Amino acid sequence: MSFVLVQVIIGGLLLGAVYALFSSGLTLVWGMMNIVNFAHGDFVMLGMYVAYVVYTLMGGGPLLGAPLATLVLATLGIVVYFGLIRDIMKGPMLAQILGTFGLALLLRYSVFWWFGANFLSMPPNIVGGTYAFAGLRIEASRLLAGVVALLVTLGLHLLLTRTSLGSKMLAVAEDQTAAQLMGIRPDTMQAIAWAIAAGATGLAGALIANFFYIVPTVGETLGIVAFVTVSLGGFGSVPGALVAGLLIGVIESLSGYLIGAIYKDIVVYVLFLFFLWFRPQGLMGKT
Amino acid sequence: MTLKQVTRLLCAAAMSSALVSGATAQDKVVKIGAILPMSGGTASIGAHAKAALEVAMDIINNAHPELGSLPLAKNAGLAGLGGAKVEVVFADNQGSPATGQNQALRLITEEKVAAILGAYQSGITLTSSAIAEKYGIPFLTPESVAANLTERGFKWFFRTTPIAPDFVRIYDEFLTDMKAAGAKTDSIALVHDNTEYGTSVANTIASGFKEKGRGGVIDIAYAVNATDLQAQVLQLKEKKPDVVLMISYTSDAILFAKTMQSLDYKPPLLLADDAGYSDPSFIKAVGKLSQGVFNRSSWAVGPSGSPSAIIADMYKKKSGEEMDDTVGRQMQGFFVLVDAIDRAGSTDPAKIQAALKATDLKPGQLIMGYKGVKFDDKGQNILASAYIIQLQDGENYVSVWPKANGEKAPVLPYKGW
Amino acid sequence: MRRWIWLSVVAAFAIAYPLLLSSPFQQRLGALVLLYAIAASAWNIVGGYAGQVSVGHVVFFGCGAYAAMGAYAKFGLSPLFGIPGGIVLAVGLAAIVGVPTLRLSGHYFSMATIAVAETMRLIVTNTEWLGAAVGLSGPTVPRNIFDLSFLSALPYYYLFLAILAITLAITWWMTNSRMGFYLRAIKDSERAARSLGAPASRTKLYAYMLSAALTSVAGALYAMMFGFVDPESGLGILISVKILIMAALGGAGLLFGPLVGAAILVPLEEISNSWLGGKGAGLTFVVYGAIIVLIARFQPGGLLGLLTRRGKPKTDMSKTDTSKTDTGAGHAP
Repeated sequence: MSFVLVQVIIGGLLLGAVYALFSSGLTLVWGMMNIVNFAHGDFVMLGMYVAYVVYTLMGGGPLLGAPLATLVLATLGIVVYFGLIRDIMKGPMLAQILGTFGLALLLRYSVFWWFGANFLSMPPNIVGGTYAFAGLRIEASRLLAGVVALLVTLGLHLLLTRTSLGSKMLAVAEDQTAAQLMGIRPDTMQAIAWAIAAGATGLAGALIANFFYIVPTVGETLGIVAFVTVSLGGFGSVPGALVAGLLIGVIESLSGYLIGAIYKDIVVYVLFLFFLWFRPQGLMGKT
Repeated sequence: MTLKQVTRLLCAAAMSSALVSGATAQDKVVKIGAILPMSGGTASIGAHAKAALEVAMDIINNAHPELGSLPLAKNAGLAGLGGAKVEVVFADNQGSPATGQNQALRLITEEKVAAILGAYQSGITLTSSAIAEKYGIPFLTPESVAANLTERGFKWFFRTTPIAPDFVRIYDEFLTDMKAAGAKTDSIALVHDNTEYGTSVANTIASGFKEKGRGGVIDIAYAVNATDLQAQVLQLKEKKPDVVLMISYTSDAILFAKTMQSLDYKPPLLLADDAGYSDPSFIKAVGKLSQGVFNRSSWAVGPSGSPSAIIADMYKKKSGEEMDDTVGRQMQGFFVLVDAIDRAGSTDPAKIQAALKATDLKPGQLIMGYKGVKFDDKGQNILASAYIIQLQDGENYVSVWPKANGEKAPVLPYKGW
Repeated sequence: MRRWIWLSVVAAFAIAYPLLLSSPFQQRLGALVLLYAIAASAWNIVGGYAGQVSVGHVVFFGCGAYAAMGAYAKFGLSPLFGIPGGIVLAVGLAAIVGVPTLRLSGHYFSMATIAVAETMRLIVTNTEWLGAAVGLSGPTVPRNIFDLSFLSALPYYYLFLAILAITLAITWWMTNSRMGFYLRAIKDSERAARSLGAPASRTKLYAYMLSAALTSVAGALYAMMFGFVDPESGLGILISVKILIMAALGGAGLLFGPLVGAAILVPLEEISNSWLGGKGAGLTFVVYGAIIVLIARFQPGGLLGLLTRRGKPKTDMSKTDTSKTDTGAGHAP
């Protein structure tokens, strides 16, 4: 019994790491630019399709697919920033919802139009099978995603806190006009932030593709999880997203096992609401 | 002034809606509306069904003597209407009951269709058939299984597909035979999602099995489009049921197969209730991880040269996919509907309705494994039935039960990967 | 004076529309525009005027829809009885939800409303008595006129028109009352409004409850027209997003913004679906998405702003810090 419980918790942690992985990009732009990106789930979806195309066209596994997905999505991030985000940022919050929701539909159904609606999947064991020790089983592809989630979180955190690029980005987030007076170009900084955020999201998609199914509407399934993860962690807090992701993963896994899977999302939402009551700025957000 | 501009915009909107006007029906063309999910999460079903109906249109509108006893195939067009051609007008229900109903109204009043086929999701079939009922236009659903659809006292509603009580009978007989062959079938786990399909089918099966004296049913429900299914597989692993019956759509079916492999869980007998397990995408994605899974299907390819094999071939040419039960049932429903129009010899709704009520097709006239097509007072096909098929090599399903239709003998236990 | 002339022109057009465009589908399209205009106008009270962007408003929509269908399916009553029931449910829920969440700032409020709506949808999905995932159906064959199940869209059209007029009248009255004055002050700066003695929390809560009540009426009307509600169509988050988008696209915080948004988006959606949906290539949503993106990009304040010389709302809010460099979305080119 307790043995199964350990497996459930490990499964939850790995799942949570994946949640954290695809939420880190969202929290970055949300915190830095105060932008709600409703198209975030569809960025993940695009990352998955890039990985799939790399696999079918070139036979490359995640070693080739993941960097390429990062690159493609980072480019897309810059294009989206200059084409849309820069302008809707100046409008009210509603314009941001409007713009990014429209973008979500546009991306989702462009992929639909090109690839069709069939469910796709990477071949089983593309990363390497399942590790078994002491009766516990861990899938290599999920472990890879989990490890990368930790590395990405650490990398983004160090970037923001230890580098001059990070300080410049934070300065722009804090006060655009002041940053401009200090010779920082807000446009460039924000474009870089979008490139990093979209790139991280593409990377997440490419890694998730190894153990999930791929379909144009998959972003809907994943997007809402990312929203909850980010707000629980605190907008803009990359470590917060990691902690929140792990927490949600374990709670979902445990409640799915102990109470019943149809109630696990209710548990997560209710806990989230209670949490907001006591700590309205999220786990690690600033007041 | 604000309001001036409001008026302008309203006028523009009104004009654009005026553009939605139906083309007048040409002579010698019978229009039939098809409402299908062509966007959203179940869009692949709509795309496959569209290809299937286009193949059916080809069979009906052109001479296909090679298809033997299949009605409507031999000559070009509908003999009963002087060789009139059939045209399907497709409409996307967008996965929404409201959109489905709007499209049903458009098909009836703008496109002037003679009958409607649809709408896959039971909730959408419910709302769109309500409009057809009010207008007095025949509505045939080849797919939706919700029990309440035929309990509404509708006079224009017909359903060709087998429904949950049929599934109970099929599974009960199949498991009895498997037990006789030496398999253990004492405890059964019902794994299902919480959609209208998953819940209602699981409930009917649970109570049906109880009536038939099958105890030990374990109910494991999960939320549809799950991000993770480890907890459910671990529950199964712990409870060790003899039979696992999966009632899942494609997304979750794929994830279940992957999770079962990673957690190394193989039930002795894995039986699936159609849906996701029939989707060709499922076989392409995880067929090799699901070798030996049994599945309910009214479709079997049959020996080469048989009408069903020829149709499967035509479908593959059209869509690039293998024919499966879901599209087969769509196509069969369409044939039943057009056959009735042919016999009615008219596009008058009342005559089509009468012809549908008089439908009495024999197994030799069908592409699906029904025992025939004959509607009861509520519009349900009382002769609907299904086979059990098995994914023995991980690539193609073969029919294994009942014995009379079996291409191969069932193989136990479940092999997995 | 000119204002009244134009108002009567719009009203005359609205009344005459079903006679000018009399095919059943066009009439239904008109009724749908009005229905969504009611929902979006209701949302506008809290989302536009009070500046509290609720993304989970569908929960109130669902209260009305479920009350209407429940009245029929569970008690054999006319769905009309569900309207007061739905209002009571929605206002009660708004009070329970509003007290803790309205004090949250900006995005956290939006997220909390999403969580509330999703929780509700999941609970209903798993509640047998409310039809679970199967949903509840209304009367298909009406027993009498009060079952409100008509073949023609005409009765719905005029019913919806009357209710839209009432909704707009309430909104107009509210903006010109003390409450509207407080709301404008709060939207400009909540802190400043508080320091000047405006009862910020209470005003926001009242606006939220009023908006919830009207949204639930829209939900009830929706369920009556389609004769059906299930968790996805009555409580799905996409419905809220749709309502929000209509208001934002037309012009949030403007009396006629939601109507303009609905009058553009509803026909756009239905017509693009009628033309392109049957091809099954997803082009409907490519077009729909592209148009929304373009409007957000070039007219972030809503379309009504584009066509009005003084379209920019006087109390332009800098809700988000980034809007300091406001371009004045409303300036006509």
